[in-house]
Amino acid sequence: MLKKVGVVAVLAALCSVVVATTAWGSAKPRTLAAATGSVKCGKKVTIGVAYPETGPAATLGAPQWDWANFAKSTWNKSHKLKIAFVRGDTQLAGNNPQAVQVAHAFASNGKILAVTGPAGSQEMEDTASVWKGASIAPVSGSETRVALTRALPGTPRETTPGYFFRTVPNDGQQGDNVATFIHNVLKKKNVRIIDDEEAYSQGLSLQVKQDLQAAGATVTTDHISQQNPDYNSVITAIPHNTQLVYIPWQVPAMAQQFYSQLRANGDKQIVMGSDGTDDPSTFKGAGSYVSGFPVDTSASALKSFQKAHNGDPETFGLPTYTSVMVNANAINNACKAGHGKTTRNAVRKAVAKVKLSKSLSLLGFPVQFLKGNAGKFQGPGDMGGAAAFGIYQIQKNGAYTRVG
Amino acid sequence: MHHLVLFNIIDQIRSLGWPGAFSLLRNGLVLGSLYALIALGYTMVYGILKLLNFAHGDIYMVGAFIGYGVLVAFGGALSPTIPIVPLIILMFAVSMAGSGFLGVAIERVAYRPLRTAPRIAPLISALGVAFFLESSVQLLTNSAHYLYNGYQLGGKNGNFGPLLNPVFTVDGIPVTVVQTLVILTAVALMGVLVYLVYRTKFGKAMRAVAFDREAAAMMGIDTDRIISMTFFIGSVLAGAAGVMYGLYLGDTYFFLGFLFGLKAFTAAVVGGIGSIPGAMLGGILIGLAESFSTGYVGGQWSELVVFGLLIGFLIVRPTGLLGSHAIQKV
Amino acid sequence: MSDTPDTPGPPEPPPEPQSSAESGPKIGVDSWVASHGGRSGRSGPIGSISRAWESIPDVARFLAFVAIALSLPFWLLKSEGDLFNFGLFTLLFIGMGLGLNVDVGFAGLLDLGYVAAFGIGGYAYALLSSGYYGIHWPAEVVIPIAMLAAVIPAAVLGFSARRLLGDYLAIVTLFFAEAFLVFTNVSNPTIFGKGITGGANGIPQADPLTFFGYQLTSSKQLYFFLVGAVALVAAALYFANQSRTGRAWRASREDPLAAEVMSIPVNRLKILAFIFSWAVAGLFGAIYVAILTSAVSTNYSIGLLITIYAVIILGGLGSIAGVFVGAIIINCVFVFLEPQTDHPEAKRWIFYGVIILLVATLKPWYKAVVLCVGTIASGFIVHAIVSATAGSAWTSGKTVAGAGWLSHWVVIPKVSHGNVNNLLYIGLVVAVVLVAMLKGWWRIIALGPTIYLAAVVWENVLTENPGVTAFILFGAMLVGLMIKRPQGLLGTARVEIV
Repeated sequence: MLKKVGVVAVLAALCSVVVATTAWGSAKPRTLAAATGSVKCGKKVTIGVAYPETGPAATLGAPQWDWANFAKSTWNKSHKLKIAFVRGDTQLAGNNPQAVQVAHAFASNGKILAVTGPAGSQEMEDTASVWKGASIAPVSGSETRVALTRALPGTPRETTPGYFFRTVPNDGQQGDNVATFIHNVLKKKNVRIIDDEEAYSQGLSLQVKQDLQAAGATVTTDHISQQNPDYNSVITAIPHNTQLVYIPWQVPAMAQQFYSQLRANGDKQIVMGSDGTDDPSTFKGAGSYVSGFPVDTSASALKSFQKAHNGDPETFGLPTYTSVMVNANAINNACKAGHGKTTRNAVRKAVAKVKLSKSLSLLGFPVQFLKGNAGKFQGPGDMGGAAAFGIYQIQKNGAYTRVG
Repeated sequence: MHHLVLFNIIDQIRSLGWPGAFSLLRNGLVLGSLYALIALGYTMVYGILKLLNFAHGDIYMVGAFIGYGVLVAFGGALSPTIPIVPLIILMFAVSMAGSGFLGVAIERVAYRPLRTAPRIAPLISALGVAFFLESSVQLLTNSAHYLYNGYQLGGKNGNFGPLLNPVFTVDGIPVTVVQTLVILTAVALMGVLVYLVYRTKFGKAMRAVAFDREAAAMMGIDTDRIISMTFFIGSVLAGAAGVMYGLYLGDTYFFLGFLFGLKAFTAAVVGGIGSIPGAMLGGILIGLAESFSTGYVGGQWSELVVFGLLIGFLIVRPTGLLGSHAIQKV
Repeated sequence: MSDTPDTPGPPEPPPEPQSSAESGPKIGVDSWVASHGGRSGRSGPIGSISRAWESIPDVARFLAFVAIALSLPFWLLKSEGDLFNFGLFTLLFIGMGLGLNVDVGFAGLLDLGYVAAFGIGGYAYALLSSGYYGIHWPAEVVIPIAMLAAVIPAAVLGFSARRLLGDYLAIVTLFFAEAFLVFTNVSNPTIFGKGITGGANGIPQADPLTFFGYQLTSSKQLYFFLVGAVALVAAALYFANQSRTGRAWRASREDPLAAEVMSIPVNRLKILAFIFSWAVAGLFGAIYVAILTSAVSTNYSIGLLITIYAVIILGGLGSIAGVFVGAIIINCVFVFLEPQTDHPEAKRWIFYGVIILLVATLKPWYKAVVLCVGTIASGFIVHAIVSATAGSAWTSGKTVAGAGWLSHWVVIPKVSHGNVNNLLYIGLVVAVVLVAMLKGWWRIIALGPTIYLAAVVWENVLTENPGVTAFILFGAMLVGLMIKRPQGLLGTARVEIV
């Protein structure tokens, strides 16, 4: 009896395997439904927002969601075509590779015409083929890896041109900027870089290290996990003749804590953070430097956001606002061109053509996407023109003043 | 490749010299005191219920938040409305009480009904409680990070306050008030615990219940009450550790209990789980190991070194440093 | 009754347990008492369902599952997103659960390092079938290599851990898993010119599964392939369980010392259980990476381990059918509760449905009725009080999606206030703790307003944060499950001999 069971089971399994490998095509890329169907614009259109709502990186996702909502309410107040969101929890660095699940869910949801997010560069790596098969070009506010838009020697381009855009300058641009500032303006020759073992941090660290070493400076590196708050031993290990410590981290509170512990230890090195630590309400170490968006802090939109969020500008989420605006504008334009009806492909092409003025983008520079390579690190999908980070110095009263 | 790494380490040791070594020793002792306090909670609960309470790290996290709440209720670190010493005492008191009651509540709701269930049931229940606590705090705080700014407590205009004054200096390396506070408070609390467990009647009851619960019940000891008190004491210690964490390391958020709890749990195991002096010893050892390996080997290998040491250690000496062999009955 | 000392009457029957029928673990120290539930049978509709289920022979159940699974892409999971999220991931969880079930369920070891095996299999596949080193071996060669790669640390760990009892083994395996994470994410030693694990970025762009020239690229193909793989593994493990080895595993699980005395080589069996378990993990790890097209260390976190544990515990340790049931329930509910599954009204009904179900299990029936009435009444009372005292701004809000009529019962303010929401949530947790501590009629009375408070918190707070809600419910589910039924849905009740 058991033998019969065994035979039947094996046969059933083999059947399904054979069926799988021979039927339903073999060389087609992942086929997805609702890819090219036409969607009526009507009164409301849907944008998918993918961000880490839960998981260890939830601290980064919350500002993105807050700014996305702010963008939605700002847009809906002044436009006839309203936007609605479908959220996707991508749980960056969390449980499952939910980013892929989110990508498939969004791709199959016929209502979604455009996508804001996802947040992590490695998430884009996994989902690029899914988005391409669904004819969606995600517009991300925080994916900064250079290889997503520009092929460099040794690292091929990871997305197809026209299928990915980002409203944030990439690691190459930021790292280059920072290294130039450190070397030319601050004239520091002995630098230590401490990264927090996340992909964002390691990308920046590598770029800055390469640039500084090429300019002749001495660079040492160290790492500390984002979940380990005791910086004392890392601080002790800093070589005596280090003049500047660069911390390309994602959480401003940790940067502030590092600064406090460094000074408490009696060390006098200058601290420099990346755009992830750009937060005037938290990171207040006087004399430190930060790279961040050249945001116009007097802009009324920024002020009303701060009022609604306890004075916290949550600058990490600012590019997500821009990304939602880009998507909304693209859908609006595509709907007008299609006379009330549009497809994902049309929206995708419209995204490439969107132009936002400085006051609309809130980033301190107008937004316009590149069609080809530009500069050392930019490629199609990056923002062109004046898009760059500024370097800020933190004053004694906590204010940020632009110095580079 | 290996000799390169070894040369780097020796180089690093030489370049940091004696001041560096003392600094790492100091860091390790302070960190180790925190680990020891949390490890005590793990080991006491294991001794009495044979339960690995995975939710303990989250009680520590809640303790840190309660301390932060008290701090903010009295104006925050930069402009406190009452003098610092009463403020700190109040933070400790409220946080310890709050964590203690939280621990007791968790025991009543999640562990008591599972007293007689197979051992994996309370383990899974503990995991469930841990998830629940982390996600609840995440919901309540909107995943934000909060800073105690303990170094600026009592300082003028955002400068460093008295907590950072050096108590004594060795070779140019200061040992600050806050670090001494952490070590002394930890030692004091551990002293009180040792007195409680080994010199009082209540402690005798606790040891009896840990040894053989049925026999203790037959001797007239109210095991339920003793178990609740054990959880209370363990959680009180975790709450105190939470406030110390806030004052010394500062960055409070919903996920902070996870890695800390794991390392403290390691400490409890290395010292011999179920043994109170073992937990203290284990905590200090893990703190020192982490500090020295971060300083000499570098951040990327330090965790691996610590974990590797532990695996090796357990394989060589399976019951930990001061643990006792469990007698297996047929 | 006679009370003369020389002719004692028959002993009185033991008193009936106070709690409602077969809830909670049995008091007693032997398995005869523990299997009380299995002997007397469960009453009512659940009893007849479970009896019907048990009367179907294993083979028929297995074939029925395979048949239904093969048919799903045609009627239930027609959309590709649904097929991917609900179909593929459920099957992956079944596969992972089957592996873990071998050493935790069959052999009774506490293995907390399982995700490391999963990761090793995945990384092996990614290294050998991608552009990273330029090696593009076909899947039929790489998958056995991946399984072997996962088996080697299993053998080493099993061998070195033979002196470790239960909890210590758990700790060593847990540290191995953490060490694996640190090694792949940070340490990343440079071998053959590149960091072998790719660091935080992992190894990207792994090839799709290629068997003898056929590439599996679409979700449908992968789904059918996975059904076949899962069926094969389940059948193999079923036979392993029925064999002498399986019996030996069970013996060493129940009482290792007695098994050793009966000449069963317990240490060798432990190592064998590890090897089987981690080999299955290696297999599904490779398939996982092929589906996701990259191997990143953050995919193999402790959170994933806990989810797989939840799967096998929910289904019942040691039961293969239980793994299927557990995986289906956990993955489908989780994915359904996630915000990207865009059906907010349905999620609300799941919440209310579960509450109604739980209330309905109260015995006797009048208790359930009293509770319902009490909940609804307290709701209306609170609603009336709030709208009378605090003004309509506090009750004129709308529910997040659909069921607008609920706003007449549940207090939903027009503008949500963060502090009030936090207080409500904490109040709910305190209320639940109080309910757990009360007994009898007091419990029923306290339960009414608590359920109403839960509804208020759901509408105001939890639907705004669906991702976090899924985790809160997951944690609460684990606790509730252990309290109510620690042996899981299809497991057998056990009592440990201490």
